[in-house]
Amino acid sequence: MADKKLVMLVDTKRCIACNSCAVACKIENNLPKNIWWNRIMTVGGGNLDSPEGEYPNLKMHNVTVACQHCENPACVKVCPVGATYKDPETGVVRQDYDKCIGCRMCMSACPYTGVRSFNWEEPKYSLAHAVGDADAPEHQKHVVEKCTFCYQRISKGETPACMDLCPARARHWGDLDDPNSDVSRAIAGRSYEHLLDEKGTKPGVYYLV
Amino acid sequence: MTDTTAAVAAKAPAKKGGGVGLNIAIGVSAVLVAAGLVLWAMQLSGGMVQTAMRNLDSWGLYITGFMFFVGLSAGGLIISSVPKAFGLSGFGGISKVAVMTSIAATVAAIGLVVVDMGQPFRVWELFVYSNLGSPLMWDIIVLMVYLILSCVYLWAQVQAEKGKVGHTALRVISVVALVTAVLVHSVTAWIFGLQQGREMWHTALLAPWFVSSALVCGTGLVMCAAAALRAAGYLKWDQANLVKLAKLLAVFLLVDLYFFGCDLLTAGFPAGEGLAVVQMLVSGPLAPFFWGEVVLSAAAIVICVVPALRTTPLMVVAGLCAIAAIFCKRAQLLVGGFQIPNIDLAAAMTPFTVTNWEGNMAQAYAGMVYWPTPLEFGVALGVTALGFLVFFLGLKLLPLKPADQE
Ligand code: SF4
Repeated sequence: MADKKLVMLVDTKRCIACNSCAVACKIENNLPKNIWWNRIMTVGGGNLDSPEGEYPNLKMHNVTVACQHCENPACVKVCPVGATYKDPETGVVRQDYDKCIGCRMCMSACPYTGVRSFNWEEPKYSLAHAVGDADAPEHQKHVVEKCTFCYQRISKGETPACMDLCPARARHWGDLDDPNSDVSRAIAGRSYEHLLDEKGTKPGVYYLV
Repeated sequence: MTDTTAAVAAKAPAKKGGGVGLNIAIGVSAVLVAAGLVLWAMQLSGGMVQTAMRNLDSWGLYITGFMFFVGLSAGGLIISSVPKAFGLSGFGGISKVAVMTSIAATVAAIGLVVVDMGQPFRVWELFVYSNLGSPLMWDIIVLMVYLILSCVYLWAQVQAEKGKVGHTALRVISVVALVTAVLVHSVTAWIFGLQQGREMWHTALLAPWFVSSALVCGTGLVMCAAAALRAAGYLKWDQANLVKLAKLLAVFLLVDLYFFGCDLLTAGFPAGEGLAVVQMLVSGPLAPFFWGEVVLSAAAIVICVVPALRTTPLMVVAGLCAIAAIFCKRAQLLVGGFQIPNIDLAAAMTPFTVTNWEGNMAQAYAGMVYWPTPLEFGVALGVTALGFLVFFLGLKLLPLKPADQE
């Protein structure tokens, strides 16, 4: 068991699907072209930002989907070399690019469609120079990557980048085991959901509803 | 076998004819292997973006082929070791050839895992940082044990014929080989079956079902190989043995189809998520593979159970149908695992999966989520040729003929 239980809360009542968190993540981690660790999905009609139902009875809300940092992660169990592993101190599911052999067992194992990305070619970037945090690990060809709760930031005591720019203040992050933490206060009295609860992965991302 | 004089008479020309033909076969396989190596180098340098695999269908032809070759390998070894392990009468002098097919298929299976890896030069990490909890790790260990054991088993048979390895020792090795063969199958199934993330794979039946499929295609392969070697004059073999194998093939096919039926019923009956899997197979994008498997299996069964149809060419056709049917099964299992997304929401998809900017998952999954590119076919062909090369070299260099026909 990890010493802490670092979790993320996403308040679906507040999220306005502005995609700021996806962009913040992209910049902070200098993500290559075509790679998004965090995406905003519409629960509604068949298309992005489209509601369900007939006017005037329309319904729509959003979920942001990134690595769920599960307490019982499917990916960690199946990785043959331990390149994806649960950080013993924080419980964050981390990814070691130097170790990954590119077998993609973890991508098959993870039930959360699309949160793991494989660099199918030499990483290419939209900008000529690197952006974001200098401590973020460099991307590699033919290895798997995903959200790390911005490990480079949280190890310096900062919060993940996606939270900082959220204009609706829909995101909370912290130690759920600490009753005085931001997340513990935010979750009090609210009901929440997990993505794909039935898979038994015990996700570390809570969606307040 | 009884007719040793005829065997001796047949030996001289057989060696000559087989010799030239065999050398050509070795040459052709070697060229294909070399071409495969070049294509693999291209894949590594230019990136796996040249394959059709993407994040939502992260395995493809290579892993399909891996499952398929593991199946072929276990079958041959089981055919060869069961009679010895249980002291039954065997299938007449093809025991060593059957084990050779196993060795060749195992080499091809290992080759396909290697070409699927993004970082093959880090393969040593598997032994340094092994996570013994990973089914993939189990499979790597079992596959290697299995390859070594097949070689030992072949060697023991050769020595036994020379009287250097005792009957009991050979029997013990047969039993160990048999257990490993069943294990190899189960463990390969668990690479898929233990993944809670994929509705289609997550079933307890997968391991026994992989064993039955292995028996089907392994028997088919041994039938084809033995009949071909007989036609080429490499060995003499009683027709009765071919018929025996054909009857066995029919039984294995029926068991395999029975398992399939059980699984589909269990998946579909509650009309929950599993129903989507059944629909995808029966009438959805994977229907050609599903019906292909059913029709090919049925055709093979008919040939094997109707006495009038059990002529050598038709039995070979039955063997080929069985092998093709199992390939269809492997393809639908692999693609089927990725075909149905767990999170079926309109999403900001990356162009890696949907090129259309308005695209969403529904469009992405309208057809089959994966179809291999020519590069993948080329590399897979190269690895298959490696299997053939090993088999042909075995024929040429090792004493695989029945002892009494030497
Ligand atoms: S792709 Fe990399 S991280 Fe994923 S299971 Fe294989 S070695 Fe582990």
